[in-house]
Amino acid sequence: MSQFTQQVVLGLLLGGVYVAVALGFSLVWGILNIVNLAHGALVIVGAYITWDLFTRVHVDPFLSLPVDALALFVIGYALQRGVINRVIRAPLLFTFLLTFGINLVIVSLLLLIFTGDFRSVTPAYSGSGLHLGSVIIPYIRLGGLAVALVLAGVLWAILNRTRTGAAILAVGADRDAAQLVGVDLRHIYALTFAIGAAFAGVAGGIISTFQSIAPTAGDPYTLQAFAVVILGGLGRVSATIAGGLAFGLIEVLGQSAPWLGSGYANAIAFVVLVIVLVVRPRGLLGRLA
Amino acid sequence: MNPVGRRRPDWWRRVALIVAALALAFVVLAPLTSIDAAQQAGLPLLTDKLWFRIATTVAMFVALASGWNIIGGLTGYASFGNVAFFGLGAYTVGVLVTNRGWPFALALLVAPVIAALFALIIGLPLLRLRGHYFAVATLGVGVAVGEVVNNTSQLGASTGLFLPIVRSDLAFFYLMLGAAVVAVLTTWLILRTRFGYGLLAIRENEEAAAVIGVNTTFYKVAAFCIAAALTGLAGGIFAQWSSFINQENVFAISDNVQMILMAVVGGAGTVFGPVAGAIALELIIQTLAGGGSGAVYSQIGLGVLLAACVIFIPRGVIDFFGGRSRLSWRYLRQTLRETSA
Repeated sequence: MSQFTQQVVLGLLLGGVYVAVALGFSLVWGILNIVNLAHGALVIVGAYITWDLFTRVHVDPFLSLPVDALALFVIGYALQRGVINRVIRAPLLFTFLLTFGINLVIVSLLLLIFTGDFRSVTPAYSGSGLHLGSVIIPYIRLGGLAVALVLAGVLWAILNRTRTGAAILAVGADRDAAQLVGVDLRHIYALTFAIGAAFAGVAGGIISTFQSIAPTAGDPYTLQAFAVVILGGLGRVSATIAGGLAFGLIEVLGQSAPWLGSGYANAIAFVVLVIVLVVRPRGLLGRLA
Repeated sequence: MNPVGRRRPDWWRRVALIVAALALAFVVLAPLTSIDAAQQAGLPLLTDKLWFRIATTVAMFVALASGWNIIGGLTGYASFGNVAFFGLGAYTVGVLVTNRGWPFALALLVAPVIAALFALIIGLPLLRLRGHYFAVATLGVGVAVGEVVNNTSQLGASTGLFLPIVRSDLAFFYLMLGAAVVAVLTTWLILRTRFGYGLLAIRENEEAAAVIGVNTTFYKVAAFCIAAALTGLAGGIFAQWSSFINQENVFAISDNVQMILMAVVGGAGTVFGPVAGAIALELIIQTLAGGGSGAVYSQIGLGVLLAACVIFIPRGVIDFFGGRSRLSWRYLRQTLRETSA
């Protein structure tokens, strides 16, 4: 029984990471109608920045998160303004192909800069955790979940409490109408993508604390972010939180089943994806638009 | 408009046709002279084994891009899971030849059947999805099937499968060429039947197609199965040709993106677009890969190429050779204006 509780706790903590990864992905998809296949690569860029700061200047990984966010914000803004804006009105397939191309370039550049070796960030507290009865909660995982929830709060506040957020939501609802009332579309597109990228960077910083990173380590996160968005439904921050936590639970419990194993993370994500898509195409909590 | 400008597309088309016919004749007949004979005659192209490899790879991608074109180009369902069919075809041949001791020729006949059956099973639920949902769900199929194979010990798990080595550049070249011809002919035939018009109608407007009496579910699943069979056939040949298969070389999502890019760059929905795209892009990719320090730069090159093609020539090069437009600065500027923010 206590083992089951431990699994549930670990599942929810892992779910926190998925929430962090999926927030930006969901924002970009919902507002710009782009499924960003480079999202995982952006996550790993953030992870490398944290690793670089940790190994070179011994910055605590959680303190380097704002740096990740800032760097990825700039990269994201430039990518959208300079490249993706060019095909934003083209059919879906083209944005898909374009973001895959960006993914390929980023991963290859990371390979050139950091080589393919696995890197890990190991602060002094990385092995310890909170003991609650027989259940152990690792501190870094707990920190990750906390950061994810803060991110969700920040996103909610940006979207619902600021003028810029109102403009972003307006663009998501109706591009042409938003332009008519004076929203600078190119800037808002770039800004939305930049926020999404910044969140990806923070998620990457969290990921680097508990997982070895390599240039290609981001690819599974793209698929998982997609699964989270499908599970929760598109368009609401709360839906992403629910989707992420649920997905983390499903993955941990699925992998602890005796006939499966840790090698099946993507297959589990996929099966969940297909079942939800077929049964409830708008997501479990999604609005029926 | 000056008369020269108007005549130019015709002239171009004739030249392109003649060049294509000559190239085809050369590609089909030249290897018959065998490597030895070519060496004696001093034909540099054929003395090199590398060129044989490249020519076979090009033929393979013609088959793959044409296969993708049937579901993606004609029917309008952008599948990112075709690589699963390729891998299944490869593993069918791999398992039958190594574990069961079947002859390669017999195993190769089973490969497209298995791929098509799998397409039937996943097509029924997945083809109800559209747009992003279909694309990513099929992407998941490719990743998940690869992962399952990678974890199944009967399939060699992560070590992969080793097939008995068959050394015959000539035979594999003709097999791949055969697969490519079958794929192109299938597309050509489909576009001349009621079935083909049904697929095009689905691509343009699925509801309208259903209203005028197209059984959309049947048409879509059938197109998916045909695409899968062609892809599985190429996969089966690849397995014996490379004599080593594992998750990384037969379930690579980047291969799937390459076939899409080839079809799109050449001109999706046309018979010869994927052929032109596959030949042009594979030669570019091979050149990049041959340019020294290898894979990383070729990946960067592919990524940049991908971005450039998507941004500047979204309707494919067949658009120019078909005489519908001319490649000019004006064309590029207008394309940009139509699609950018």
